[in-house]
Amino acid sequence: MTADGEKIEERQSPEKPCEIPPDWKANIIAFACHYCAFAAADLAGVMRLSYLPNSKVIRLPCTGKLDHIYVLRAFERGIDGVFVAG
Amino acid sequence: MFYSDYVPYNSLAGRVHNGGSGETVRAGLKEDLVLTEQSHKQDAGNRIGSVLVVGAGIGGMQAALDLAGSGFMVHLINDEPSIGGTMSRLDKTFPTGDCAMCMISPRMVESSRHPNIRMHTLARATKVEGREGNFTVTITEKARYVDAERCTGCGACEAECPSRVANIFNLGLDRRKAIYALFPQAVPNTRAIDAEHCLFLTRGVCRKCEKVCDANAINFDDSDKEYELKVGSIILTPGLKTYDPAIRQELGYGRLQNVVTSLQFERLLSASGPCGGVVARPSDGGHPKRLAWIQCVGSRNAHNANPWCSSVCCMYAAKQSIIAKEHDPEVDATVFYMELRAFGKDFDKYIDKAKFDSGVKYRRAMISEIIEVPETKNLLIHSVDEEGRLVNEEFDMVILSIGFEPRPDALELAQIFGIATDQYGFAQTSKLAPVATSRPGIYVAGTYQGPKDIPETVIQGSGSAAQAMALLGGSRGSEIEETVLPAERDIVGEEPRVGVIVCHCGVNIAGTVDVAKVAEVASHQPGVTHAETIIYACAPDGQQKIRDLIREKGLNRVVVASCTPRTHAPLFQDTIREEGLNRFLFELADIREQCSWCHMNDKEKATAKAIEIVNMNVAKTRLLEQVTSNAVGVTHAALVIGGGIAGMTASLSLAEQGYDVHLVERQNTLGGLLSQVRRNLEGDDVQAYLVDVRNKIAQNERIAVHLGVSVDNTEGFVGNFNTRLTDGTVFSHGAIVLASGGTEYAPTEYGYGSSPGIMTQRELESWLAASEPKVSDRFVMIQCVGSREEPANYCSRICCQDALKNSIAIKERQPEAQVVVLYRDLRAYGLKEDYYRQARDLGVLFFLYVPERKPEIIVDGNGFKVRIDGRVLGGEMEIDADYLILSTGLRPQEDAQQLSQTYKLTRNGDGYFMEAHVKLRPVDFPSEGLFLAGLAHAPKNLEETISQSLAAAGRAGTLLSRDNLTVSGIIAKHDRDICMSCLACFRACPFGSPFIDEDGRVSHNEVKCTGCGICAGICPAKAFQVNCFRDNQILAMIDSVTGAD
Repeated sequence: MTADGEKIEERQSPEKPCEIPPDWKANIIAFACHYCAFAAADLAGVMRLSYLPNSKVIRLPCTGKLDHIYVLRAFERGIDGVFVAG
Repeated sequence: MFYSDYVPYNSLAGRVHNGGSGETVRAGLKEDLVLTEQSHKQDAGNRIGSVLVVGAGIGGMQAALDLAGSGFMVHLINDEPSIGGTMSRLDKTFPTGDCAMCMISPRMVESSRHPNIRMHTLARATKVEGREGNFTVTITEKARYVDAERCTGCGACEAECPSRVANIFNLGLDRRKAIYALFPQAVPNTRAIDAEHCLFLTRGVCRKCEKVCDANAINFDDSDKEYELKVGSIILTPGLKTYDPAIRQELGYGRLQNVVTSLQFERLLSASGPCGGVVARPSDGGHPKRLAWIQCVGSRNAHNANPWCSSVCCMYAAKQSIIAKEHDPEVDATVFYMELRAFGKDFDKYIDKAKFDSGVKYRRAMISEIIEVPETKNLLIHSVDEEGRLVNEEFDMVILSIGFEPRPDALELAQIFGIATDQYGFAQTSKLAPVATSRPGIYVAGTYQGPKDIPETVIQGSGSAAQAMALLGGSRGSEIEETVLPAERDIVGEEPRVGVIVCHCGVNIAGTVDVAKVAEVASHQPGVTHAETIIYACAPDGQQKIRDLIREKGLNRVVVASCTPRTHAPLFQDTIREEGLNRFLFELADIREQCSWCHMNDKEKATAKAIEIVNMNVAKTRLLEQVTSNAVGVTHAALVIGGGIAGMTASLSLAEQGYDVHLVERQNTLGGLLSQVRRNLEGDDVQAYLVDVRNKIAQNERIAVHLGVSVDNTEGFVGNFNTRLTDGTVFSHGAIVLASGGTEYAPTEYGYGSSPGIMTQRELESWLAASEPKVSDRFVMIQCVGSREEPANYCSRICCQDALKNSIAIKERQPEAQVVVLYRDLRAYGLKEDYYRQARDLGVLFFLYVPERKPEIIVDGNGFKVRIDGRVLGGEMEIDADYLILSTGLRPQEDAQQLSQTYKLTRNGDGYFMEAHVKLRPVDFPSEGLFLAGLAHAPKNLEETISQSLAAAGRAGTLLSRDNLTVSGIIAKHDRDICMSCLACFRACPFGSPFIDEDGRVSHNEVKCTGCGICAGICPAKAFQVNCFRDNQILAMIDSVTGAD
């Protein structure tokens, strides 16, 4: 609803969202700063913290190194999520 | 490798150092002093170019790294099984809220890997002989029972060990095993066996750890070792002990479960602490909401605790309360304090953050008792509020802000090293030589010299290193060994021949991940020539295997799939370099910390993930290129800006270290603000000292003094600056020490200037030198004039000390004279508390005022009436005064703005220069080659200024000692051919490495580059590529993870 009370139809996406299989797990790329987030991922291991194995870490010298093209390339090739930590 | 250098006790005769005559001098002060005179003349060149650093906390590591970085061999001993000290126990540090471990861990790794540092853990010095330049130190090293060479740090033994003991690292909050690592990030990354609790060593049964250790690292036959080290100088940084609050039974520590110490609370907050960072109440594991901090527990109390102020508790309580609130916004935090001693740079702003952003309640009250509610184990605190009413409050948990004291063995240490201590057991130093002990050649840093915080400890670490460098400068490089490496093989044009080594890490990886399958899959990846598994890749035999494979299979790139690159990549890089491969043709795939250890419950998925991790690293490695590191020369001279005591001290230290110095002072004389100071709080004759320093400067041939001029322009970069002064003088230099100082605030408040009876503290000091106070004289001092309120809302740090100094001087000369100090918080931090007590004992009256109700001055004949809101006595008070003394603070130097533009340096909101890192790099600027000291950094007293100036000289000296600077391999490479000079990089780079060259186009100064890659991310033309993180390499990793399609 707008302020005038006019009802707005929700736009349908031209692409039909695909069915999510029940055993589906998101495939995630994490871009992690060498000095902090990558170290944190290491610490999680040292402390034997458990998490799902569906994320893979790509180490960067700094998250300032993150390039648009990395994110676009990942999505273009079907990644489900990009996590940037630093 | 740690033991390779020690001299067996009985075979010393075979290893007398060059010039060592073999004579032994008894460790004793008197003999030393006599011999020192001769030693200066005789053996300046025969001094041993190595230094013993006793204690490997943050101060010891700083000293060790500075010395090692400038060509001295350093023996770093520590009595714990890991280095790290007190800071490794902290959760976070203020004001940034950085994780303490994240900051200290890289230093620990660097200390352990530095080729010029020999680490000796579980070691203590037991005897010291000789004199400055040539000491022989006997070291006793306790048996570790674990072979550090073989141990891979996997921890399989720990899981099996049946003996559980209180975990001292976590201050008894949980339990550890008898075989243990001090903490998860311990360095060296190896276990030790606690002989007192090991079942086999105490009762002869068990040996479970031995059975489970695939690396055969357990050695029950290990025994204590004794050996000697020959060193030219010694730096003592043994650290501190915290006060044991159990002595104060009324506070209930040890009796009431939910009363913990502040250090315990650090561990409770810590993500790697006993409750994983979710604060749990000891009594029931519940999540406490109502938290109280009680300040000054064990400090400022001469009766059953320590008389001094511990200097750090006010700030860590603020930090802990802010972090507790961050953990849980519902936390209700109250701090009970006597005086808020937020005396450091930006400290008051942090207290304001606690008060106003986090809603921490601050109550000025002394707490006499904590009572437990038996049913809930909650805690009751009675206090008196500002209106004098009794208040009862209930809390879920109470944190005692415990102070510092000298270690229990502090006196023993002093005896072993033959140094004098003060009345409390701290190492005795002069305020004019704050890191020099009473014994020549032995220096001290950190809390062994007196209570202090992390940055001041780091400053003293660098300062003591500077002293040792000055002492041993002639022997620099004499004790270190250069490793000779084979020539590098040029692989340009070769097809990738990648070798993949998958490490079992005992059962650490292989127990979860099917390593054989990982290697099998890797072997079919494009470019992979060979893949196999190794039980322990990092063990000596594993390293040899890697070298053999490079040779036999003709590998030109290597991937090791094992643990984290953060700690282990340098080891493997060294290995492949020894075989002639460029160090950067290597990648470490982390399948332990980031895979097997986190996915133990699902072996199949863990294996699948490990395969993906290895494949993506193989995909990257295929594209790795060899990296050549350029080197630039260093001009062995320094520019020191500012001829106050900071600049003079830095200049002298640099000259003593052997470097030429250009000392530039705007005024026509040297001395700066110190010219107006007669004595310090401790009574040293400052003017005599100043004359002495001026004379030393004048006599030193290495120091060129440029008076009455300032810097016109400086060009160049670290190691290679060119400066032109306003008088046209031009010189080149490798480093810059900025010591431009500050100014004293000229007050406008309280009628200053309207009457000769109204003076500043500085003027009172001169007045006292010229005239004698009379019996009837009445002095009223007003603190914080022009400080701690807008527009200068910060503590000037020195004014409380000035007030104490002058009031004691008045009272000692004329006990009948009346002295009243009107204050907001009397900031007599550290050992200065003694003088606060002395002033009170002499009858100086201290009255509190609040900024909302400042004292009012009424002119009354020749004198004044000072009206204050008398909080203690209730109602308004009027004090008669003949002299009104204004404690005025400090301001930044007027030309600080101009200097910050010339050198592109940032300043904080108050106008003081910002250091590179508030905790760990307190005298460095973010720009390489520039260092900071004195009032230009922040208000500080003489002793602190001298420490910081020595530290800046030490840091600069570490740089100037090098013949050339090797550019790091991981840097951005700039392709000028495709660069459009759009200046995006120029604006974004925090380090100023892209610059506009003589053609008006962007060029890149690789010496300044840190390899962060911000330029590469922002460059629209992709003219910047970071070595080992090139876009094609990262994209190859992304493509690998997203499948083969």
